[in-house]
Amino acid sequence: MEITREDILHLADLSNFSLSEAEIDSLGNNLQDIIKYISQLDELDTEGVEPTYQVFEMENVWRDDEILGQDATPDELLATAPAEYQHQIKVPKVL
Amino acid sequence: MSKKYEITIGIECHVQLATKTKLFSEVDNDARGKDPNTCVSPVDYALPGMLPRLNKEAIRMAVVAGQALNSEINLSSRFDRKHYYYPDLPKGYQISQLYHPIIGAGYIELPDGTRIRIEHAHLEEDAGKLSHYDTYSLVDLNRAGTPLIEIVSMPDIHSAKHAHDYCKELWRIMTFAGVCYGDLYNGNMRFDVNISLALPGAEKLGTRAEIKNLNSFRSVERAVEYEYERQSKLLDAGERVVQETRGWNDATGKTTSQRSKEEAQDYRYMPEPDIPPINLTKEFVEANKPGLLPADYREKLGGTISSDILEILLDYQPLVAKLVELEDKNAIKKVSNLFSSVLLAEENTSLLNDELPSATQLKDLVAMSENQELSSTGTKEVFIKFFDPEMHFKDAKTIAKELNVLQENDTGALEAIVDKVLADPATKKAQEDYKAGQEKVLGFLVGQVMKESHGKANPSAAQTILKEKLK
Repeated sequence: MEITREDILHLADLSNFSLSEAEIDSLGNNLQDIIKYISQLDELDTEGVEPTYQVFEMENVWRDDEILGQDATPDELLATAPAEYQHQIKVPKVL
Repeated sequence: MSKKYEITIGIECHVQLATKTKLFSEVDNDARGKDPNTCVSPVDYALPGMLPRLNKEAIRMAVVAGQALNSEINLSSRFDRKHYYYPDLPKGYQISQLYHPIIGAGYIELPDGTRIRIEHAHLEEDAGKLSHYDTYSLVDLNRAGTPLIEIVSMPDIHSAKHAHDYCKELWRIMTFAGVCYGDLYNGNMRFDVNISLALPGAEKLGTRAEIKNLNSFRSVERAVEYEYERQSKLLDAGERVVQETRGWNDATGKTTSQRSKEEAQDYRYMPEPDIPPINLTKEFVEANKPGLLPADYREKLGGTISSDILEILLDYQPLVAKLVELEDKNAIKKVSNLFSSVLLAEENTSLLNDELPSATQLKDLVAMSENQELSSTGTKEVFIKFFDPEMHFKDAKTIAKELNVLQENDTGALEAIVDKVLADPATKKAQEDYKAGQEKVLGFLVGQVMKESHGKANPSAAQTILKEKLK
């Protein structure tokens, strides 16, 4: 599979970050190498094999519906945001 | 008026589950009336290294909801990541179910019997709430991580009215099943409506527009009506409908384009590695069936009360549940009238928040009304007093006595009152007029008896006695 310049720009757009010209090329090459490596798996016939959701054969890992104290308070959490206003997270205008 | 185009509608409905905590974190899930960003955890903020911890109650409620939709429950279900970048979603992906949803195909029936098929329904987490201002937007993460089920209908809906009825029936089903608070104003249920037009008999459906995030049945109905007009004008003019997402403006009554689907959403779904698969037993599914649903109430009460009144009462689950509790058909009929004409009268709707009278209180009241111990006005007065905090636990007779509205049916006592009225010189002329053939003055005399009895005489009994005495 050929990774094009357009693919890289598309992925960058989906993740909402900008790339310099140099980064576009180097990321493209890196991604190309990774995909080539992973593509070795194409040699296997996976017809009818379920995709792997997890590898430890765990199931039904769940908890009771009880409110518990958290490791960080709402104020401490809000303080991790780049900007705040009226106890909300302030972001550049979207939509 | 028959319409030129056939309209085809499919609806996706997001239902917030009424769990105590969020889907993947142990914080309060009911943020109504709370300050922004106070029901939050490090998981909701997607701090590095945080792992989601699945709420078993959300799985249980999804199983109840699925069976309420007459759906197959998939014993084996999985979570997937749906990636998109938006400020209401700190992780950069939503944990959802694409490939193995918990709820399979089902159907619901509208009040008029139309069956709408459900394609599937899946569990996912809600995103935060955004509000937009001139130069910035604000994010409240209180509802980020609230468990949702997204119910996806088949394109079986073909009118604005059925779109309205479908949404309303889903609301009833989810609230009756006890899995959702059903508070539409606070966004507990939200509807995305896909609408397309085609000429009757066309082999392919037309290009659809999706109206996102409607939060009332009425706005669903109005948006569908607006889209019919908008799309049919385009088609009449030989133009094409663009496949896109549109927003609804309740004030203008119009939809406007939000983003074109052609600039491709690419969600890059992948299996969610942090949540191991869910494998349920048949016993678990069997043990988590919904209670009585609207369709059950229609079956139980439909023969006894008119469908017009029943459909009104079905908006209030406690009322129809109380009617079923009465068992006796006659009592059901009388009490359903009291519910619809007295309790749901505008000036009394605040009483709906109070505890309902017991079945015994209501049955006694009906019996007293039947025995003529209470006039219809007296019956209503006693009924209203059932909701008075000071009278709440008193029986119908005690309240009737306290209100002094018991009717006098004792013939002896009534005769004495009638005699007293007839002995009063003030009624002499009326008596003579009556005897001379003027029957309408009887009303005056009955009125005097009522007055003398302080309103407690049974008027028809008083009339009978008067006639007898004036022969």
